[in-house]
Amino acid sequence: MTSPVRVLVVDDSALMRKLIPQILATDSSIQVVGTAMDGNFGLKKIEELKPQVVTLDLEMPGMGGLDMLKEIMRRHRLPVIVVSSHSTDGASVTLKALSMGAFDFVAKPSDVSARMPEIARELIAKIKAAAQSRGVPINASPATVAPANKLLLDTKKRPTRVVAIGVSTGGPQALQYVLPQLPKDFPGTILVVQHMPEGFTEMFSRRLDEICAITVKEAQSGDLLLAGRALICPGSRHLKVKRLPLGDVAVLSDEPRVNGHRPSVDVLFKSVAEEFGEKSLAVIMTGMGEDGAQGLGSVKAAGGMTIAQSEESCVVYGMPKAAIERGYAVRVVALDALANTLLAQCMQDRKPGVTAEPGEGRKGAGAGRN
Amino acid sequence: MSQFSDERGAELRELFFETAQELLQSLNDEALKLESKPGDPEGGRSIRRIVHTLKGDAAAAGCRELSELAHELEDALSVETAGPHNSLAEIAFAAADTFGEMLSAYRSRAKLPSSAPLRKKIRELAQAPKTRKSRTKKPPAAPAAQAVWTEYEKLAMQEALNRSQRVYQIKAHIDPGCGMPIAARQLLLKALGEVGSVLGTRPEAGSTESTKQFQVLLASDKTADFLVAKCRIPSIISQAKIEPIDPPPQSKAQRKPKAATALPAPKTGEKPEATIEPQRRLDETGQILSPSSNENEGIAKPHFALAENTLRVDAERIDNVLNLVGELIIGKSMLQQAVNEFARQYPRDSMRGRFADAMAFQARVLNDLQRSVMKVRMVPVEQLFRRFPRMVRDVAKQCGKQVELVLSGQDTDLDKSLLDAIAEPLTHLVRNAISHGIEPVPERVRAGKPSCGTIRLEAYHQGNQVIVEISDDGHGIDVQKVRARAVERGLLGAEEAGRLSESDILELIFRPGFSTADEITEVSGRGVGLDVVQSVLQRLKGKVEVETHLGKGTSFRLQLPLTVAIIKALLFRVDHRLYAVPLNAVAEIARATESDLHRVDNREVLQLRDYVLPAIRLGRRPEEHPDRGSGKIFILVITVGERKFGLLVNSLDGEEELVIKALDDQTIETDLVSGASILGDGRVVLILNLAAVIERFVKSRPNSAGGQASGLLISQSGLARIAQTSTAVQP
Repeated sequence: MTSPVRVLVVDDSALMRKLIPQILATDSSIQVVGTAMDGNFGLKKIEELKPQVVTLDLEMPGMGGLDMLKEIMRRHRLPVIVVSSHSTDGASVTLKALSMGAFDFVAKPSDVSARMPEIARELIAKIKAAAQSRGVPINASPATVAPANKLLLDTKKRPTRVVAIGVSTGGPQALQYVLPQLPKDFPGTILVVQHMPEGFTEMFSRRLDEICAITVKEAQSGDLLLAGRALICPGSRHLKVKRLPLGDVAVLSDEPRVNGHRPSVDVLFKSVAEEFGEKSLAVIMTGMGEDGAQGLGSVKAAGGMTIAQSEESCVVYGMPKAAIERGYAVRVVALDALANTLLAQCMQDRKPGVTAEPGEGRKGAGAGRN
Repeated sequence: MSQFSDERGAELRELFFETAQELLQSLNDEALKLESKPGDPEGGRSIRRIVHTLKGDAAAAGCRELSELAHELEDALSVETAGPHNSLAEIAFAAADTFGEMLSAYRSRAKLPSSAPLRKKIRELAQAPKTRKSRTKKPPAAPAAQAVWTEYEKLAMQEALNRSQRVYQIKAHIDPGCGMPIAARQLLLKALGEVGSVLGTRPEAGSTESTKQFQVLLASDKTADFLVAKCRIPSIISQAKIEPIDPPPQSKAQRKPKAATALPAPKTGEKPEATIEPQRRLDETGQILSPSSNENEGIAKPHFALAENTLRVDAERIDNVLNLVGELIIGKSMLQQAVNEFARQYPRDSMRGRFADAMAFQARVLNDLQRSVMKVRMVPVEQLFRRFPRMVRDVAKQCGKQVELVLSGQDTDLDKSLLDAIAEPLTHLVRNAISHGIEPVPERVRAGKPSCGTIRLEAYHQGNQVIVEISDDGHGIDVQKVRARAVERGLLGAEEAGRLSESDILELIFRPGFSTADEITEVSGRGVGLDVVQSVLQRLKGKVEVETHLGKGTSFRLQLPLTVAIIKALLFRVDHRLYAVPLNAVAEIARATESDLHRVDNREVLQLRDYVLPAIRLGRRPEEHPDRGSGKIFILVITVGERKFGLLVNSLDGEEELVIKALDDQTIETDLVSGASILGDGRVVLILNLAAVIERFVKSRPNSAGGQASGLLISQSGLARIAQTSTAVQP
């Protein structure tokens, strides 16, 4: 292994400044080079200690987390992992931080002490991913669409395709970039599994709905899959789909974790493949791990279209890489081309065996780093 | 994960308890600030931030109840941000108290105190009408009561209505006596399925709720009465309520997805405009988001000055290190002696130089080490002072008085063990000052004083002492009253009382059981009196002094040694024996001869330039002394408090930093010596307790047995005892 990842811990709680380094000390490939109690100290220490990754508490006196994040993004472009509290306000601030360029976040649930090992693993994994990432692409925030412009959803109009999106680290930013580009009369229906804890997904859905022309909502069981609508899977549930006589619906389930995740992208993809076959379109986007790779294979096998986000546009090239390496991605598309690709795919009237470009599927497969 | 073992957990908890105390202190500070500046949004935010941190820390330490309570408070406070409530400070105080009680309960693993009063306050805060705003909080109504049908079920409902079927919502209660609630449910569903189509049921089968009651959405051609009859299954279904649905219910309780409103609404004139309503609600939530996130961008003053990279160490461990350093120094001197011996025996050996180098290096490092350890023990009195603002506020409120607390010199450093020891006495004095010192408002106004009393708490260095002074501008202590009370209590005879000076009378207030307060109040006068204050100070080798002016106020001065562990000392000899005094106490060193000493009123005095000093003779008088011929002596001019004395010594032996080794009572009985120390060469030096020396000197009656009066250390059996001591502490 190369030299350890240098981490700076910024937190106003003395306890956390002790605890987080303790957690990170359990992994020899991470080295906490310093701690800081607020943004001002934090920025000074970044200059001094040159960390590779910063963990950041957003609620701090003095220079708060968001201000510090802004400065880090402006001056240092370091990956920042937000250590976020689990509350309504915590979720909203965290999402704001993500849209400002934070790499990812780790939520401290209220029973954090009981779930310490799990949180420790998550934090360590995210720090490692952050250290390897190419930095966070900053996408121009799309203009907010006046909600009045939205079309009323029509229960009679069946969507042309069922688009299932699976995404993890870097997802909030990527989705906030892609979904607002879709027109209000987008003919497909969208289902999203974003790895994110409970509570955050609701806030995230609302935020997306504000900036998108299509309608976005957190999925509830029995919600109809309608054209021009995106349903976001709530945290700690699985999202599946079901065809019913009067319409197609989303179904939430509490089945065990898959690939260590709930929601799991694989669960969604497999369910979509099963129910919608060649009408399905699965997109695997930026994120750590391999969740969704198998599911993408199922969609492909069922005759659906499969797309993986291109390596250079990923914050973490993990999930797409796993899918591409297995040969499950029919197309590899860069983030900025994704909206148009989705639109084109959904406009086509479900021609079977669509415009597969098999050569592209292999692209970048060997280029992964380890 | 084995890394987070129990031991780690315990350590984490310990750290949590400490940091939590600091957070509570900050909470109190912020609440006080807010109270003086009500409506300051920054104050509200700081409070919320502190509560937020506490919540997170408590969760990490596994103090779930505390974390949850803090969470509730935080949520209530965030609703609050728009316009701070007047009672915010009040709640913060209450919260600090409750959290504090919970913390100590966690610490002692006792039962947690009730948090109900605080919870009630939090609820009131959260429900204050002005804070309602438009936040879409879930209504407290039981969600199970009203089923929420999914979009698909509503769609099915719609289809049925379009087919001009009737749709009913049936609420069935399963008979509590029914032994098979799951079968009961199926039975009813089967019965209903025969007369219509079941569009949906709530709650899901298998949930605990489902064994008591459930709701069915049914499309049927039959009438409600018919269905009620159908539902009547004795001893299985106890009650069934049927509501026809027409048009589909628009439950306001649920945050409605926009799509739902677009579902065709039959019969009624409900038009697409209906979408506006939930849409706006979303807008409003959007607006709520922004202020609550903006507040993090506001630059706030750091609300507590916690040094970076602070390490918390048990004081005992530091003492251990300090002791070991002391041992090392002795070890060094042993080594030095061995090296010297070596040098004498082998004057030409080349090893000599190398030994000398090594010794010098070791000495330097040892010196630094010792100094560093000393510094570790010192903490600013701020740590103690910061608890007082809240206390003064509370006590003043209780007493119905107006009191302002003025702090100064918070950055004065003091040995941590001293600081801890004076916490109680100081608290007592502050309480006293408020309850007995400061007058009630009307009385103050009558006396022409500002209605708000002032209590000053000051800390500063004076010589080798730290003075902590607490003064009030109250009515002062009535010396005559003290005198009368003393006589009344039988502490003094009337005649003796008349003879004593004012300052002597004042000393009486430090006697156990003495109180001039006309009544015992809840606040003070609870048995702990000034006698306790004095005994603590004596134990610390410090002193307490009182100064009072009737009608103007009283001040207590706590005099404390800078540290209990080390002093910079001047070494000198009296009768060939080595002693030391704290260097800071030495104002000047003069040379004199025996002939410069004069006798005034049977005491020896000394003329130094143009002033006269009382002289204290530690050793024997020259006439008792064999070598009286030389007659040359040194005078150490010592200041203790206001007093100046000349200490007569035979010779000076240089100055040195001494690590004080406490002498226990068995080793030494006299209080004239405050400790001993071991010098680099292994010699033992006794450190004089100057305050005691002077006291002894003043008290000794000059007329009694002339010569014995001075020669303090030598008088009586002192010499023998001290000689024993010296050998006892010899390593």
